Amino acid sequence: MKVSTRGRYGLRLLVDLAEHASDLPVALSQVAGRQDLSEKYLQQVALLLTRGGYLVSVKGAGGGYLLSRKPEQMLIYDIFDLLEGNIAFAEIPQKEETAIQRCIRIHFFEKLDEKVRNTFEGVTLADVTKAEWFTYMI
Amino acid sequence: METMVFLSTCRGNCSIRSISEATGISSGYLEQLMIPLKKYNLVESERGVRGGYRISRKDITCGDVLSASEGEFTPTPCDDCEQGDSCKAHQIWSMLQDTVNNYANQILIEDLASHLVESEAGGGI
Repeated sequence: MKVSTRGRYGLRLLVDLAEHASDLPVALSQVAGRQDLSEKYLQQVALLLTRGGYLVSVKGAGGGYLLSRKPEQMLIYDIFDLLEGNIAFAEIPQKEETAIQRCIRIHFFEKLDEKVRNTFEGVTLADVTKAEWFTYMI
Repeated sequence: METMVFLSTCRGNCSIRSISEATGISSGYLEQLMIPLKKYNLVESERGVRGGYRISRKDITCGDVLSASEGEFTPTPCDDCEQGDSCKAHQIWSMLQDTVNNYANQILIEDLASHLVESEAGGGI
């Protein structure tokens, strides 16, 4: 499993907005400049995050994007799940799944997915913006 | 992974044909899969009438097999990125990478295979 460009850009967009917390909408051109990302691509990702309920779009002059709620209330796992569509390693079993495939799916990949869920349990966007957080985790 | 789980249920050598029958993987593709598995000393092969493939040792983990056949798990192409430590999103990808690699390195192929034998005994197939 590789994290898609959408997943990487989307998370960086949210992290950037959380770090530069503001009551005023932030233009994507600013984020693109700060993060050295393509503004065009950020627009697509911002649209998805708006539909997913993480961003609020403000139109017009001085328009841009705002976080829809506090970063403390945004779970990284859920964000990741939205951006990637599906973040499971275990694939949906095919009709002709062999006994070996089923064994590996149930006893390895599904448990791996559970591990990943547990790792990210309770981790919020606010945690990621704190520099000291990751050092604490390891 | 499927090949390795199957091989660890076998006593003695297994021919490509018998592995193919058990896993449903084509013989041609199996020959290709064996190249990295042999290179990383996860399987051994023997020629001759009783020849075939067998696992090289008992303590092979899923991580060994995955990194031999797919390379080390890296969820993002961050090595080429110039943002470095200033990218906070990167912490998340590191967490994901460590979780997956640590888990895969803990699980033995042999243990996976033991579940297979159990479910077979219970008529679960």
